Amino acid sequence: MTAVLVLLAGGAAAGVFGSLLGLGGGVLIVPLLSLAIGLPLREAIAISLVAVIVTSSASAAVYLQRHVANLKLGMTLELFSASGALVGGLVAFLIDERVLAALFAVLLVWVALSMARRRDAAPGVTADTQPAGAIPAVAPTEGDHRAGQAPRLVPALAGAPVPATFAAAISGPGYLVRRVPAGMAGSVVAGLNSALLGVGGGIVKVPVMHLVMGVPLRTSTATSNLMMGITAVASAVIYLVRDQINPFVAGPIALGVFAGASLGSRLAHRVDVRVLRWLFVAVLLYTAVEMTLKALGR
Amino acid sequence: MNVRAAARSGPDTAWAMEAAIGRLLVAGTWIAMTLIAVGVVLTLASGVDPLAPGAVAPFDPGSIRSALVALRSEGFLWAGIVLVLALPIGRVVVAGVGFLAAGDWRLAFISAAVLLVVLASVGAAIRLEG
Repeated sequence: MTAVLVLLAGGAAAGVFGSLLGLGGGVLIVPLLSLAIGLPLREAIAISLVAVIVTSSASAAVYLQRHVANLKLGMTLELFSASGALVGGLVAFLIDERVLAALFAVLLVWVALSMARRRDAAPGVTADTQPAGAIPAVAPTEGDHRAGQAPRLVPALAGAPVPATFAAAISGPGYLVRRVPAGMAGSVVAGLNSALLGVGGGIVKVPVMHLVMGVPLRTSTATSNLMMGITAVASAVIYLVRDQINPFVAGPIALGVFAGASLGSRLAHRVDVRVLRWLFVAVLLYTAVEMTLKALGR
Repeated sequence: MNVRAAARSGPDTAWAMEAAIGRLLVAGTWIAMTLIAVGVVLTLASGVDPLAPGAVAPFDPGSIRSALVALRSEGFLWAGIVLVLALPIGRVVVAGVGFLAAGDWRLAFISAAVLLVVLASVGAAIRLEG
């Protein structure tokens, strides 16, 4: 009984802090399950992928209802991220767990550095700007747009003729997607990253879309959230068929993450996360050291 | 909502289609979380220790229904997890049908290709497992 509650609480904590700090749940769940609870790393990664899909579906739902995500761009790139995830899911069973641990340690350091370099945001960040791992708090009704709020983005399936170039076809209002092949390549890397390490891959996708492809940050974040689900599914089914998902662990973790991420998105308006962020930079670096030790077999 | 009609009848209904996909994900997520919550409660009630070496319930699609009927925790947990995995696939299917209905063959083809990649994952995993 205690173990179930520990898993629920651990998942909820990962959901809350991931949501507040803009981390995908996987960066927190994988170390929790492998280092703190002692599960084999592959099982931890598999269970983390289930949690990533839950948060992706919940957040993508809200972003789609708000027409913030670019569905056409997301579907184009997720073909490549899912392909990367397929390869990553297969490779994950060919390499030693210590290599996976070393890769995860590198990821943790990268995330910690990214968090340290991030500009401080004051409390009151709107749900539309919430990053990966956050489930936007309130889903508006369809009528919200018709009741006076001008839509911010053209819907993906508008009845207008398909634009002549593919880049134009997957662009949105106010921006033209550029360097599509680079975006596709980045998506493959994101998919590999997701499948090998049990994370959403937003840390790759968002910068690629925003900095390389010229997509606005908010749209990049929302579209990345949309893509995470099917990308994670492409590798999660491999872990599932290979009996790496224990439902007695995955269930409480997924439920906890869902509840925690929902709570975190509501707290984000009231909490000043600046101190929390620096605390987590320290925690991530400490976890990176632990993962490195695991990789070294100590 | 009729996806084909929505896609053909203009931007207003296209907005509605994105909203409809959103509603599908919301409803599916809540149903999945409810199934998992019931499974977690049953796990607590049955005293199963999820971290004990013997606490395993291998994935067997054929046994989920009987486990649900018998109110066994693993039935609800697996049903919830399978639904979680199915939701993004459902989203791609709905969007693909929408693109097809809108005459956007490129995106319809891409949607089908995404589904093929997922199918290939399942196939590759089964082949490796066998």
